[in-house]
Amino acid sequence: MIAARAMGDALRAALNEDDRVILLGEDLIDPYGGAFKVTRGLSTDFPGRVRSTPISEGAIAGLSAGLALSGYRPIAEIMFGDFLTLCFDQIVNHIAKYEAMYNGKVTCPVIIRTPSGGGRGYGPTHSQSLEKHFFGVPHLRVVGSSLVHEPTAVLRALLAQNSPVLLIEHKLLYPLHLLLPVGGRIESDIAEVHVSADGLPTVSIRAVPREDCSFTVLAYGYQAELARRALSRLAVVEEIFGELVVPSQISPLDWEPIDASVNVTRSLLVIEEGVDGFAWGSEVAARISSHFFGKLRRPVVTAASDPTVIPSSKMLEAEMLMTFERVEQAIRQVAA
Amino acid sequence: MKPVLVPTTDVNSETGLLLAWHAKDRSEVQEGETIAEIETSKTIFDVPAPESGFLLHAAREGTEVRLTEPVARLFANVDALEAYVEEDQHRRVEAAGLGPRATEPARRRAEELGVDLASIGAESLITVGMVEAAAAVATPATIELPDPLPGVAALPRIALIGAAFGATQVIDILQAAGSGTAVAIVDDDASRWAGEVMGVPVVGGFQRLVTLFGAGAFDAAIIAIGSVPARVRLREALAANGIPLASAIDPTARIAAGVVFGTGNIVCAFCHFGVDTVVGDNNFLSAYNSYDHHNRLGSDIATGPACTTSGLVVLGDRIRLGTGIHIEPHVEIGDDVQVASGSVIVASVPAGQAVKRRLVTTVVVPRRLDAGPDQHDRR
Repeated sequence: MIAARAMGDALRAALNEDDRVILLGEDLIDPYGGAFKVTRGLSTDFPGRVRSTPISEGAIAGLSAGLALSGYRPIAEIMFGDFLTLCFDQIVNHIAKYEAMYNGKVTCPVIIRTPSGGGRGYGPTHSQSLEKHFFGVPHLRVVGSSLVHEPTAVLRALLAQNSPVLLIEHKLLYPLHLLLPVGGRIESDIAEVHVSADGLPTVSIRAVPREDCSFTVLAYGYQAELARRALSRLAVVEEIFGELVVPSQISPLDWEPIDASVNVTRSLLVIEEGVDGFAWGSEVAARISSHFFGKLRRPVVTAASDPTVIPSSKMLEAEMLMTFERVEQAIRQVAA
Repeated sequence: MKPVLVPTTDVNSETGLLLAWHAKDRSEVQEGETIAEIETSKTIFDVPAPESGFLLHAAREGTEVRLTEPVARLFANVDALEAYVEEDQHRRVEAAGLGPRATEPARRRAEELGVDLASIGAESLITVGMVEAAAAVATPATIELPDPLPGVAALPRIALIGAAFGATQVIDILQAAGSGTAVAIVDDDASRWAGEVMGVPVVGGFQRLVTLFGAGAFDAAIIAIGSVPARVRLREALAANGIPLASAIDPTARIAAGVVFGTGNIVCAFCHFGVDTVVGDNNFLSAYNSYDHHNRLGSDIATGPACTTSGLVVLGDRIRLGTGIHIEPHVEIGDDVQVASGSVIVASVPAGQAVKRRLVTTVVVPRRLDAGPDQHDRR
């Protein structure tokens, strides 16, 4: 099943299982069903609980905060991740703060979903991966959708707790089929699932036993899929073996499965599509370098997109974004 | 067979929803008839039959379809349609049962060692290490391995690695040149053990070579294998065991003043090395290679016959040249480059690249009877 449809099914399950769930966002209702068709059919089947809003991301976030404070479980869609900047005040100064600010007397369990990322030629303001600006915001979870995580299980885990969530869905994943671990395998690779105390999975994928892997790759979303394909190719063609670790929650991180892999491979590459500098990779590199001081075989390698504006031309954006070629190049660097 | 593609210019959608089939699976349709309805993020549109024929659906109603792939196929008649269905099933069965999953280096190594990949019951991807471990276990203990030949007084005793055709070339060169005498051959393919090549016994695998060197049974080794990765691997293995390399240079080779050779080189008949050309180690250069003056050759290179270079050409390490290649002056070929037969190289090639050639096919046709050899002879 393709990721867009699977996410739609996850939202459908949430609406079925919990009357407090409300979906809101721009153009969600049928027949349009959302810009990426994730919510298609839901407004027809759950009349009144799936609402199209005016074009104001600040209002969508504020309304979600109010609904959550009043006991609802709002799941908001921001049409493009680039527009998250318009929600920044609501998220950072209000939604993420309420519970701590009122000493646990209220909770504000808002879930904000948004498609992110480039590769479609959508230009400077519809292609970015801005989630780095939300990493490390106290009491906010940032979760990244990946093909190896089952969206219904992830959404259930998120709805079972009370902290606010930013859910990043890379738009290039929508038409791709999920690659869920079945019987300890993804295709012919070994796949190990670690579930955090909050029920959020991290999947570790390797072609050969971990002891035979000479490095670990940490990635999420579309970059995780690019890394999976590159690792699969390099394993078969050149016997370059690494383990790919794909966390569903990307901030704060569940270090246990990452540490377990790096402890054996003693070498780490972190890949992200967001731009380079003060990034996810920098934070992971700092933590791993400190935790494994003196034990790593080489400094942590980070790979990210060039710190500049994303061009509209697909050819030019491929020069600055993390593409398959750049992912493979980064893997070669950590494998050398 | 004619594939039915979705006629869309919608750049925003990679997939669409197949809303309805208007023509049944395996039914006859007319050109231009609407056969399906597809919805993308922007619109719903009709899919017409691109030509008349019998229709085979490639997707079910209500499913997502990729807009770049056919949603159906059209056939001239029912037989062609059924034949395609049957073939398609075969393809699926074959794709599902491709046999054991192994890395490409492991497949090559299994072929070298004569190991059946299916005999390795691996839980994960089969690697070179697993193939070599399996080969070590499978080694027949019953074969009585022959001893090396005693050699000839005053000539270095040479052990060859590889008991295939490369060995025949090297033995012939050594005999013609009188620069050494082949006393033993080793090969990792155990099925060749206890055999012989031109009177030289195959005495076992690489491990036997190490043992024999320790026992003083030979003086140096030559890698008689044309594969570049194998040459690199074996050269490293020899060095790790302190076994020196020897060269085999055919007496018909013309070596000009100032030419410097490394060690472990195989130079076949009628090769030419121009003034001041420098050759590295462990290269396998086939017949009629000509390296003109002031060339520099790296190491672990393997070439086919009739490769010629002009002056001042530089070849890096681990290069593979096919047959009949010409290289212009001052050209530099980087490490690990592969060049297809018949190439004419006029500009430098960066490391790691492959030089390919647009194929000019040679056509073989029956001889015209009125232009036979008799007529030709009369002229």
